[in-house]
Amino acid sequence: MAKTPQQKEQSRQARVTARTAAQNPLVAPPIAAIASLLIPGLGQILSRQTQRGVLIFSAMATGGGIFFWRVAELGRRVQGFFPSIGRALERSPGFVGLAAGALALVWLVAAWDAFLCSRNRKRPGSGVFALVLVSFFVLGWQIAEIDVVKMVRQAPEALPPLSRVIWPWSAAITFETESLSARAEILVGEGTPPTRPVPVEDEPYLLVEPNVGSMTSQDANYQPVPGTRITLSGTNFAANTETEIWWRDPLGNEFRPREDSKYLIFQTDNEGEFQLEMTMPYRMAPPSAQGPFLHTVEARQVSRVGGPQASEALKMTISRMIETIFMGMMATFFGIIFSLPVSFLAARNIMSGSRLTMALYYITRAILNIIRSIEPLIWALIAVVWVGLGPFAGIVALTLHSIAALGKLYSEAIEGIDGGPIEAIQATGANRLQTIMFGVIPQMISPFISFSIYRWDINVRMSTVIGLVGGGGIGFLLVQYIRLLDYRSAGIAVWFIAITVATLDYVSAEIRNRLM
Amino acid sequence: MLQFTNLSKTYDDGTQALKEVSFSVEPGEFLVVIGLSGSGKSTLLRCTNRLIEPTSGSITWDGLDITGADGAQLRTIRRRIGMIFQHFNLVKRLSVINNVLSGRLGYLDTWKSMLYRFDSEDQTRAFRALERVGLTEQTYKRASELSGGQQQRVGIARALMQQPEIILADEPVASLDPVLAHTILGYLERLNKEDGITVICSLHYLDLVQRYATKVIGLRDGRVVYRGTSEDIRTMTDAEFKDIYGQEAERVGAGLAARTPSSASPTGAPSSGSGSLDSGSTEGAE
Ligand SMILES: Nc1ncnc2c1ncn2[C@@H]1O[C@H](COP(=O)(O)OP(=O)(O)O)[C@@H](O)[C@H]1O
Ligand SMILES: [Mg+2]
Repeated sequence: MAKTPQQKEQSRQARVTARTAAQNPLVAPPIAAIASLLIPGLGQILSRQTQRGVLIFSAMATGGGIFFWRVAELGRRVQGFFPSIGRALERSPGFVGLAAGALALVWLVAAWDAFLCSRNRKRPGSGVFALVLVSFFVLGWQIAEIDVVKMVRQAPEALPPLSRVIWPWSAAITFETESLSARAEILVGEGTPPTRPVPVEDEPYLLVEPNVGSMTSQDANYQPVPGTRITLSGTNFAANTETEIWWRDPLGNEFRPREDSKYLIFQTDNEGEFQLEMTMPYRMAPPSAQGPFLHTVEARQVSRVGGPQASEALKMTISRMIETIFMGMMATFFGIIFSLPVSFLAARNIMSGSRLTMALYYITRAILNIIRSIEPLIWALIAVVWVGLGPFAGIVALTLHSIAALGKLYSEAIEGIDGGPIEAIQATGANRLQTIMFGVIPQMISPFISFSIYRWDINVRMSTVIGLVGGGGIGFLLVQYIRLLDYRSAGIAVWFIAITVATLDYVSAEIRNRLM
Repeated sequence: MLQFTNLSKTYDDGTQALKEVSFSVEPGEFLVVIGLSGSGKSTLLRCTNRLIEPTSGSITWDGLDITGADGAQLRTIRRRIGMIFQHFNLVKRLSVINNVLSGRLGYLDTWKSMLYRFDSEDQTRAFRALERVGLTEQTYKRASELSGGQQQRVGIARALMQQPEIILADEPVASLDPVLAHTILGYLERLNKEDGITVICSLHYLDLVQRYATKVIGLRDGRVVYRGTSEDIRTMTDAEFKDIYGQEAERVGAGLAARTPSSASPTGAPSSGSGSLDSGSTEGAE
């Protein structure tokens, strides 16, 4: 039934009158505004909008407090209040300006809000609270050290390692290689030139001409003095194959000499021969180094033989992934074994017999809740201290968490048991064991299996993370790769984690669906 | 003969569910227990096979003291007494056949039954029981997949597996619609007449009582307030009946209208659901 306009107007007036009696503002609008300027929220309280006033006051107090804390942090090393604000403004003008502005705006709007509260005797909109949210957002931005500029600026640098993580497969395979090399000795300093080895048929051979010379060095003014030019001629190498020149000093240090600041790398010809000229490289001789020294120059070819093979990283990843899956499985297994008895203690219908058992029930529940509320990662940190680094620490952590989680789920399954069928089985003359086997277990088996599989799924997922803190498994390997900046290998590990977790997720959901 | 003497039951919370109940049941009788909800019917039936321990009094069965039996003895007594329930009490996750076979547990070796192994004789017996209640088609279905009426028939088959001399039925049709109620009670009646199994059954609907009972006892607040033969109950006055049943008095009549149009309420007072006591004939069951 629709009301006529007059009726509406009447009822509105009636409402207003009804309000006036109880909710008459204590002060006039301008006074309320001034009160709120002095203490934010006071004006609202005086207008009998106590909740609103308190809310505005605590928002202002919190916002202001946080603001001054951050400013003090920014101007830490400066003495005095105003100097430290000045320093903070210098260091982070955007934040200080925005936050101060937002808070001041809230302050002013709060005063306006008080004015409206007092004048209209009804609640103004929630604009003031929207402003409070904005100022908290500004504060949060600074506290959380959000730096979008940095994120954008550093993106180009992050791209190469990231792309290696995203598509790491070139590091997943290696080829078996065979190296072919020949070396020749060069005398530096006074002495008899080294004797050249006799060429052997079908063996690569390297001839250096001359085989006596001096290295590149520096004169008194640090100007380079080029070394002797030498000619290298190789025979019997593999044809048309990439060949590198290596140098070994008398101390046994190997390095690749450069010519015109480029590494010496070239292709052999159709006969497997080559010839090139180079300047003997610069090598700082140790102060004690006097007299003749034999340097060695070597020509090396590395060629693929045979097909592709799994790389070390791939093999490690797979073995660690298997370790991870089994960690999850063992933790689930132990979790099930220990949580079964615990779940009976945590089942209300089983424990409601007496005061003592009820107390036991509450204690068990409390312990389970505490264990469950601590993340497995933290348990792993503790377990590492306890049993040392490695998968066992991870298993201990996951087992603890599984006991708590499964204990709760199992106990709920037990609480959900229907007493009717048990009564019926008893009535047939079955004994206790038979009653359990026919009346109790069939009711519990499918929730038990489904919870256990779900737990295994969770445990495998968690054990990939637990390795990060030393709990073994693939997480452990992943951290090592990242520390070594070996992003391709890390990428392989990440891929395997993703594939395994997704597969397990699917399989466990599928099994649980079938059971339900 | 089953003899109840001064049977009393006081629950832990002090509720006196049975007070000095005495009566006897002759072999082959179809005894119906009537009474308001909370009058002690379930308690009485459960005391009979000691699913509930009576507080005092005794139950003897052809000289055998049921109330005094200990563990093993009690189980041999229980296996001679089948029981069916209002909510059927099947193990829902087990197959129909396993539910039926579980009725045999009282006869079996514990360890064999742990593996759900039943010898071929028991299996044959189970198939025959299912055949008898017309559920051959459902043998390997999960109990939860069956309708209410079918579940109760499985319950009867399970009781049959015990080769019982007595069947206790605690409101066996209270969860079923009236047509199904007659099917189920029909099975019980046949077991009673053909196999000579004594039936002790609690019922809610007046016309069902009149149709099936050979003997009736009425409970109120744990006391026997009425004893009668089927003749007595046919001629029972409304006042007498209300004394036992109070305002809850019901008959299935309305639900059976489709079967027997003549039984429709002539006064037309309650237009739907169960008729009241004073409505219509008592022949609705036919
Ligand atoms: N386990 C129990 N504990 C305490 N009181 C009970 C219990 N079971 C039944 N009662 C009480 O005993 C009385 C008889 O119950 P019951 O035998 O179930 O009656 P009916 O089957 O006739 O409805 C009721 O008052 C009921 O509340
Ligand atoms: Mg009952």
